[in-house]
Amino acid sequence: MIKAIIIDDERNSRDIIALMLGKYCPEITIADTATDCADGIEKIKQHLPQLVFLDLEMPDGTGFDVLAGTLPEIPFEAVFVTAFEKKFLHVIRFSDVELILKPIDKESLLQAVALVTERINTGSSKDRYRVLLENFNNSRPAAWQLLIPATNGQAYTINIPAIEYLETQADNCIFHLNTGKHITAVASFRYYADLFTSLQFYQINNNQMIQISNISHMDGSAGKVVLKGGSVLDITERRQRDLLQRMTHH
Amino acid sequence: MLLLYCYTAESFATADRTPVDTLITDNSFASAELDLRPYIQVLTDDQQHGSLAQIVAMPFTHQPGIFHPNPKNNGRVNNCWLRLTISNKSNKALSAYLFSGWHDFMYWYVQAPQDAPRLLMQTGLMLDDGGEERWSHYAFHAQVPPGEVRTFYLHIINKSYNENALMPTLFSTEGYSAFRDQQLNGYRQEAVVIQVLLGMLLVFFSISVINYIQLPDRSYIYFAAYVLGLILFFALRLEDKPYQLSFFHRWPMLKYYWDIPGLLFCFYLMYLLFGNAFLNLTERYPFMERVFTWVAAVVGGLIILCMYLIAIEQYHMPTIIYSYVYFVTLVPLLAVFVALARRSRHHPLVRFFLYGSVCLYLACFGSFLMHVRPLGLLSALGELAAPTILLIGGVMLQAMFFLAGLSYRNKLVHLERTRTQELLIKQLNKNKELQRKLNEQLEELVKEQTTEILRKKQELEEQRKKQLETEYDKKLTEIELKAIRAQINPHFIFNCLNSIQLFVMQRDYEYAQKYLSDFSYLIRKTLDFSRRNFISLADEITYLNTYLGLEKMRFENRMEYEIVVDPVIATAELEIPAMLLQPYVENAVKHGMTNPKQPTGKLSIYFNQVASDMLECVIADNGIGIARSKSLRMLPKHHQSSGMEISQNRAELLNKMYNTEIHIEIIDRSSEDESDSGTIVKILIPQL
Repeated sequence: MIKAIIIDDERNSRDIIALMLGKYCPEITIADTATDCADGIEKIKQHLPQLVFLDLEMPDGTGFDVLAGTLPEIPFEAVFVTAFEKKFLHVIRFSDVELILKPIDKESLLQAVALVTERINTGSSKDRYRVLLENFNNSRPAAWQLLIPATNGQAYTINIPAIEYLETQADNCIFHLNTGKHITAVASFRYYADLFTSLQFYQINNNQMIQISNISHMDGSAGKVVLKGGSVLDITERRQRDLLQRMTHH
Repeated sequence: MLLLYCYTAESFATADRTPVDTLITDNSFASAELDLRPYIQVLTDDQQHGSLAQIVAMPFTHQPGIFHPNPKNNGRVNNCWLRLTISNKSNKALSAYLFSGWHDFMYWYVQAPQDAPRLLMQTGLMLDDGGEERWSHYAFHAQVPPGEVRTFYLHIINKSYNENALMPTLFSTEGYSAFRDQQLNGYRQEAVVIQVLLGMLLVFFSISVINYIQLPDRSYIYFAAYVLGLILFFALRLEDKPYQLSFFHRWPMLKYYWDIPGLLFCFYLMYLLFGNAFLNLTERYPFMERVFTWVAAVVGGLIILCMYLIAIEQYHMPTIIYSYVYFVTLVPLLAVFVALARRSRHHPLVRFFLYGSVCLYLACFGSFLMHVRPLGLLSALGELAAPTILLIGGVMLQAMFFLAGLSYRNKLVHLERTRTQELLIKQLNKNKELQRKLNEQLEELVKEQTTEILRKKQELEEQRKKQLETEYDKKLTEIELKAIRAQINPHFIFNCLNSIQLFVMQRDYEYAQKYLSDFSYLIRKTLDFSRRNFISLADEITYLNTYLGLEKMRFENRMEYEIVVDPVIATAELEIPAMLLQPYVENAVKHGMTNPKQPTGKLSIYFNQVASDMLECVIADNGIGIARSKSLRMLPKHHQSSGMEISQNRAELLNKMYNTEIHIEIIDRSSEDESDSGTIVKILIPQL
């Protein structure tokens, strides 16, 4: 049995989460509900739940405030539930914390619950919440950290500047770091390509995406781009011009 | 020589004392030179032109007064006959020469006893056109055969009153040769002087002619004429020099025609004309110029008169005229010199003219005085025009001064020309400079105007750009506004959907049905309004009512609301910007629900007509107020909510778009009354 708490300022929201959990996830028991941040922190400290369903926007703060309020240690897994929260979407995804959108559909709920259940059962690291809060308090996305769930079951936390390039491999995405290490992520290349749109990354061909700040130089005639780590990658002529224009522009 | 002298002296003495009719020569007669005055009987013709026979028959008398050793002015025409009878008592034929001076006409007759006189020889200064040999014609050959008697007649006519020396002398052949040599030597000196003078004058003439060719100036012409006149005059004076070469002997009368007239021409006519032109008196001294011109004209007339008088053989008249002219002009000339001298300071040429003039003036006067002493006043007057050394020197000096003056004048002209040229060059340079400046100005003007045109063009372009930008901005604003409207509140939408989902799951279908239809109405209206700029106030009120109803359902009746409309407002006709109020209302709902002291959020919306053209909309809640709300939500800066900013921007955008003055005022109620709380938003919408 997993002990859970729902923190949401709207009764309708709390009701539907509880209703759906009761209907589809019988292994989760709702220990309590809270209507705002302060109430939520208090209830968490009181019940010490394993799982918290957390609304993002509340009258006296956000879900992040709740997380911060339980520091120094976060002993639970969190799932954010929000109606429409574009501005926090990226910061949540970088840390690979679960997010469900309202109105809640069954599949999303089940997937999220399955993931956190597994984490709870395996005693997975709570590092993602530290990453989330640190990223949340850092205004420069280029300096954020990224938590990558790898195919080997591990989760790696890396700094964005350390990424040399990413590469598609089947349905997965391989991260090549400047340390020479590479990580095969569970998520797809497309997932990260979308996630990094606001960062200074450039897709040099159909399968590879480089971080512009890590380019050493370009070999125009050979159609190659050389990275600081020494990797030599193919680049099409059109994208070469496009990339050069972007580099000089910035 | 001493013997000869003694003899002649004795002969003179005897001749004076005892005039005789006949010269008797015997074997002892060996006189080289015999004064014939005692032996000559004279008949003065007094214009009676009798025939030779009549003359011979007329009585001859001794008239010693007729003879004179120096030139003399007779004051009349001298027409006289001399008779010499020689009786040769020796046994040898007598061959001697009678010489009595140089006269105008001379006829030599011989008469044997009981014979008619016979013309042997005729000559004279006005008659003889022979060459140099003619001078021997004046010694008449007297030949008397041994033991015979011959009577000789010498007819002398001096038409001019000035008569050369008249002293009849009988020479032996040897004696005549000696006499001739003596005369030749004596006159040679004078001739040489004249020839030298002629040479120099020719040089002057050439110089002036050449100069005139180089520089056509009238003064050169006058000077050349003056010099030419002098050349002719002096060349003709050679005619008078016995035994000397002469140039014009073929025309013996010429020397008379160019005697006084020549002097008048040179020393008066040309002199005055030269002065006029040389000193440029027309400009510098107009009065003097008039005087000179008039005098020159008078002199010209006199020259013609003189020539006429000579033509009618009135040879003495020109001399008289000349004497008068000379004396009459003596003092006025001095006056002219003084008058000119006073101006010489400003006119350096005057000096040359004056020096030359004064030289000749003094030379003439000196020459005259020199003549007066030996000849007496009357004869001296007759000899006024005779060229003496002094006069020649004066003429020379004058000509030289004039020539020097002309050179100086040349220099002045040259300087003037140089100056003029320099001025011209300066003017040209100035013109060039001016042209350059004008060109520069023109260029500058063109440049300025080009710049101006370019500037105008740029301005125009900028204006167009601005206009385009404004239009673009307007379009952009519209798009932005629509964008703001479109994403009016997704959070609300999804929360609504969430609520409906809950009702469905709870199987509260009636509630779900109502919620769903209200929600559909709201979405439809939102979509509709976002395409329109203005909607009627009635529509807005309905929309707000629906929205607030949905919110009320969401918040489980923990909120109350009221919409109060001033009854004077025609809500169906009055138009307001679409979706202007919605964000403020939404904000009020959100904040109204967050006051822990107030269990029920209370929201009031008032529409008031505050002025005839001003609609006031007040949205009031009883929440915690803006200030506290902000302080409570301590999000990191980059995550701050921008809802209110968007509202403010909307007002600004609307104002920009529709050129209206929508005014939004947000008041925190606690700032006025501490016990009170909440926010009041006042929106003033001007009616168009």
